[in-house]
Amino acid sequence: MTTQQSGPSRARAAAPRTLAEELRARSDEALSGLLRARPDLLNPVPGDLTQLSARLSSRASALRALERLDRFTLQVAEALAAAPDGSSDTVVRNLLAGPARVKPHQGAEPVDRAAVTAALPGALETLRARALLWGPDSALRLVLAVREALAPSAANPGRTGLGPTVAEATTGMSPARLQELLAGAGLPATPDPVTAVAALAGLFTDRKRCAALLEQAPAPALALLDRLVWGPPTGTLPDAARPVTAEQAHTPLEWLLARGLLLPSGPGSVVLPRELALYLRGGRSHRAVEPEPPVVEPAAERDPAVVDATAAGQAYTAVRTVEELLEGWGLQPPPTLRAGGLGVRDLKRAALALDCSEPVAAFWLELAYGAGLLAPDGEADEHWAPTPAYDGWLQDPVAERWEVLARGWLAATRVAGLTGSPDAKGRPRAALGPELDRTLAPSVRRAVLGLLADLPPGGTAGADRLMPPLRWQRPLRGGATGPDGRDLREHLTDWTLQEAELLGITGRGAICTAARAMLAGGDPAAVLDKLLPQPLDHVILQPDLTAIAPGPLLTPLSQALSLCADIESKGGATVYRFTAESVRRALDAGRTASDLHAFLAQHSRTPVPQPLDYLIDDVARRHGVLRAGAASSYLRCDDPQLLNEVLADRRAAELRLRLLAPTVLAAQAPPDTLLTVLRAMGYAPAAESAEGDVLITRPDSRRTPPRSAPVPVPDGPPRPDDALLGAAVKAIRAGDRAATAVRRETVAGPAANMPQSGPARTDLRQLPRTAAADTLAALQTAVLLGERMWIGYINAEGIASQRVVDPVKVEGGFVTAYDHHADEVRTFALHRITGVAEVDDPA
Amino acid sequence: MNDGPLIVQSDKTLLLEIDHPRAADCRRVIAPFAELERAPEHVHTYRVTPLGLWNARAAGHDAEQVVDALVSYSRYPVPHALLVDIADTMARYGRLQLQKHPVHGLVLSTTDRPVLEEVLRSKKIAPLVGARLDPDTVVVHPSERGQIKQVLLKLGWPAEDHAGYVDGEAHPIHLEEDGWQLRPYQKQAVEGFWHGGSGVVVLPCGAGKTLVGAAAMAEAKSTTLILVTNTVSARQWKHELVKRTSLTEDEIGEYSGTRKEIRPVTIATYQVMTTRRKGVYPHLELFDARNWGLVVYDEVHLLPAPVFKFTADLQARRRLGLTATLVREDGREGDVFSLIGPKRFDAPWKEIEAQGYIAPADCVEVRVTLSDSERLAYATAEPEERYRFCSTTATKRRVVESLVRKHEKDQTLIIGQYIDQLDELGEALDAPVIKGETTNAQREKLFDAFRNKEISVLVVSKVANFSIDLPEATVAIQVSGTFGSRQEEAQRLGRVLRPKADGHMAHFYSVVARDTVDQDFAAHRQRFLAEQGYAYRIVDADDI
Repeated sequence: MTTQQSGPSRARAAAPRTLAEELRARSDEALSGLLRARPDLLNPVPGDLTQLSARLSSRASALRALERLDRFTLQVAEALAAAPDGSSDTVVRNLLAGPARVKPHQGAEPVDRAAVTAALPGALETLRARALLWGPDSALRLVLAVREALAPSAANPGRTGLGPTVAEATTGMSPARLQELLAGAGLPATPDPVTAVAALAGLFTDRKRCAALLEQAPAPALALLDRLVWGPPTGTLPDAARPVTAEQAHTPLEWLLARGLLLPSGPGSVVLPRELALYLRGGRSHRAVEPEPPVVEPAAERDPAVVDATAAGQAYTAVRTVEELLEGWGLQPPPTLRAGGLGVRDLKRAALALDCSEPVAAFWLELAYGAGLLAPDGEADEHWAPTPAYDGWLQDPVAERWEVLARGWLAATRVAGLTGSPDAKGRPRAALGPELDRTLAPSVRRAVLGLLADLPPGGTAGADRLMPPLRWQRPLRGGATGPDGRDLREHLTDWTLQEAELLGITGRGAICTAARAMLAGGDPAAVLDKLLPQPLDHVILQPDLTAIAPGPLLTPLSQALSLCADIESKGGATVYRFTAESVRRALDAGRTASDLHAFLAQHSRTPVPQPLDYLIDDVARRHGVLRAGAASSYLRCDDPQLLNEVLADRRAAELRLRLLAPTVLAAQAPPDTLLTVLRAMGYAPAAESAEGDVLITRPDSRRTPPRSAPVPVPDGPPRPDDALLGAAVKAIRAGDRAATAVRRETVAGPAANMPQSGPARTDLRQLPRTAAADTLAALQTAVLLGERMWIGYINAEGIASQRVVDPVKVEGGFVTAYDHHADEVRTFALHRITGVAEVDDPA
Repeated sequence: MNDGPLIVQSDKTLLLEIDHPRAADCRRVIAPFAELERAPEHVHTYRVTPLGLWNARAAGHDAEQVVDALVSYSRYPVPHALLVDIADTMARYGRLQLQKHPVHGLVLSTTDRPVLEEVLRSKKIAPLVGARLDPDTVVVHPSERGQIKQVLLKLGWPAEDHAGYVDGEAHPIHLEEDGWQLRPYQKQAVEGFWHGGSGVVVLPCGAGKTLVGAAAMAEAKSTTLILVTNTVSARQWKHELVKRTSLTEDEIGEYSGTRKEIRPVTIATYQVMTTRRKGVYPHLELFDARNWGLVVYDEVHLLPAPVFKFTADLQARRRLGLTATLVREDGREGDVFSLIGPKRFDAPWKEIEAQGYIAPADCVEVRVTLSDSERLAYATAEPEERYRFCSTTATKRRVVESLVRKHEKDQTLIIGQYIDQLDELGEALDAPVIKGETTNAQREKLFDAFRNKEISVLVVSKVANFSIDLPEATVAIQVSGTFGSRQEEAQRLGRVLRPKADGHMAHFYSVVARDTVDQDFAAHRQRFLAEQGYAYRIVDADDI
């Protein structure tokens, strides 16, 4: 009872008889190729090729692999599924392109026969390489799970729009009725139902006889058939199963039913059998076949130099925006919501601070989060704050900082565009919230940028032009369709284009050189660096107390300037304004007036204007004249007159000041209140430490503990590297060589100990034990061969038992089987089955 | 990265590096659509506003020119969003047009039907329009011409006014250019105005706005109503018109608190126009008293609200606004745009100074230190009294005295806010004081004496802020002001900017009490001066 023995009736002498056998014949490279294309097979590494083939035949894995096919390859698989198992490549070609010299149905779209012929071997090779298909070109076999998923049926016609075969549609029909149909179609009677079905199917596949039959059909009947040709192949009809003979037929519908041209597919519906549909279609399985991806024509061509300049400008803006955002949040971290994410009000505030719309602000937030520069700090009262990585990031050159952001964005599964959209419960999703991950996002981003990169330099294309090739590349990966009738992929495409422009990956809609380098695996920072405005080491000081940085500044310079002046306007240049407050801030931070004078003289390209010098001296002269103590809450001053002034001021009443000495005042208020009130009164007091030194106050910038960037939600197992693949293939090979002998023992061993009767609570040690993959393979084989199996099972309460079952179906991690002990059909969770063993069938 | 002189900021300000070789070219192309906001020594700041862009559209520039100007002079790539925004904003102007209709008089028509639908749905527009003639046209009552323009501007769809003007009652006026000529920029200003039909001419104080008005009258050759800020200014206009044009004393009427003359050319003050009795403005009917062909608004930035209201009904007459700055402290620039008209001409101070038409000025802030007792008194003063206290400190008197001594050969004006302080100063310096209660006859007499150099020092209150012509004042000392009013600062500086016979420099002193609100207000005012391009110095009172 091994996989090798399954389906022996279909095996042919020259060809491998099973998938496992064919895999065994493949080269190591081919096997690593398979594992690379379907990395889910590697978790865990299969023990041998039988396990591998069982695992890749599972429905989940096969569907996953199908989702990653392009449209043409998928159409090839669909055509194969519509054809009998073991069809040749010629059959497939004829299904796709229509047989030569047969006129296609008028509803069919023209097809380029040569292109299909040229593309077919490649598509078959792809299917084979991913082990969705096996066997030689003369006898192609789809893996069973693929055939089940793609084969057209009345309930699920799939993308071909075909119905079930005559044989499938007549299952369960009485032999008498079958003979009636034969008679109706003008065929001689046959001895048994099997030959009857074959005769009817043979009539439909024989073009000449079928044409002759249809010539007799009344015109409305033909019109009825025509409506079903391209699918859906079913029509509703009350009492469809009512037997009608050719003599009784009055209506066109009855005419068709009496001859088996339409077959009942359920109590109230009829279906057009596949063979007849194919005849009517002129042999075509698909109305439209697309062997080549749609070509993207550029919507406009921009000057590549302008594209690069614009993108570089935007790249710089992106880096600066993130920096500005995180600087702000470092000082005033916003709280995280209890459910995760950022509150609407904080998002609004961020948008206001960045001077952009809320969706754009959400994008910047996600960008910083995705690059690992921002994270929740993990404290009880949780806040969003920059990570320690942010400090390192700040030290890098702009181009490298951009690269970090861009790479983070490209790989991220988080989608900023979803912010604010309603979730399953109708509540808006929070920015930075937990519900923004979409596994589709990175592949769509790459695909969109890839298409843009394929355009000539400077070429732009909007979403309308990009969607057809995107759909062609992955027809099954559209994501959920929203209430607006657009699927997730369409939204993602729009967002990708917008975000790429914001991030400076594209400029004026065309992809820039740096991004091209990044997509091609090169070094984007080196390319970008040349395009970025070079940071300057000087500013222009003006008599209206502004300083203008006519371009980006070196980071230390811009930090120092931000300390002693307020930023008034941003963009290509930065306008700083010196005010008494800003200068006082610098003095509070420990700078002295002479420091500031020297700093300005050193970095100004113009002479320092006299009013600015005056401003600094003025503030410095008053700065620290008043000294307020934190420990004892006192106020002292070398100038008794000033203290008198303060003491006399009515506004100081709340401080309850008392003159201690001519130069010292004591206050009955905490030092911070004291300082605030004094400042409000227009003084510039300095705080003093217990030792009498001037306290340097500088707001502490908040940081989270070390945090890593959010790991993109895996769309599957990680892409295996060559070393892992090599090792895996080796392991599988080794396991395979050892497999046969060992398995016989394992499976046969416990069988000997099988109790004679009764379901029993059993000692765990007595349960049959096999590896999970072997269990799966054995059960699948048992389903195919209708064998009886002995299983060990642990139920939800943890109670172990042994059961003898007839497996009916293995699907989705469950085994449906007839349980001999319970005497009913039950479902067993695959992971609870400890092992299987053969049973010597008493029958 | 090209090496342009212009940097476009994300807040839609434009920074122009003026030492750059291409700066002059750049200024020329951006001036039509960007307002000069600040003009300090090295980098000038322009601002692109919807109003500015519509001004440019009204002057015949299109979005492509604007975008082209930005892109070709910008040092860094111009954000795409900004360019799109500019194109969108400019495209809003002229979608709606006011036109004459042979049957219905005045109609509002559109080139873009949805826009008309949108504005007609507005509650504010509904009462102003009549029947819908066809999908693109709707009747507007002629009396609502101004009102609808105002409302449409507020809705963001400024209407282009093609309805034209009535000629008004003809009256022969021409300039008598004997021994003088219109300056080139004055000619350009008049041409710009006449070509556009209505609008505002922006010229710095002392640059000869009166002459622009006179030249516009000579162009219109019709009866003219001139609105000015006060009686002194009215007299001065009259004086100037008699001197420069063919008009005689009898042809010019003065309509003020004391006299109510209506002549072919009538000069009225804002004050009398806005006098209100029992809820009505009895003098507003002056607007209808004659079939005026031209209305001149002096100092548009001071135009009071009731005059706006009446101007709305005058849309069929040509209107000329004259001002030194479009900045209104009440923010009604939009009303000036829709009711008087778009900016037709603009020349920055520095440019005219460079051409020698106004005198260069040396601005100095003199800091005085309060005595200890004054400081104590200041600290205990009521908040509303603080400014008065520190700006009228006795210490200032000594500084003013020494400044006057320093400039004893020059004609000196001392300007202040508080009458007590001025009286005190007048007494100390033995100089006449002009204040609100001084009669007009007395004022004129003193001004004449000052012009003839019979007296060299004159102390004036804020009555002198506007429009009195003191040609030979070379030194102004301001001791107190209306808090931080920038507009007042501009007017006061204008006092000393008239070109000097001997071409020497004007001096503008502000005396300020150190470490008080006076200094804060002074900083505010000086920022204005620095932004106008006047380098100013700070000196200590002890250094004088």
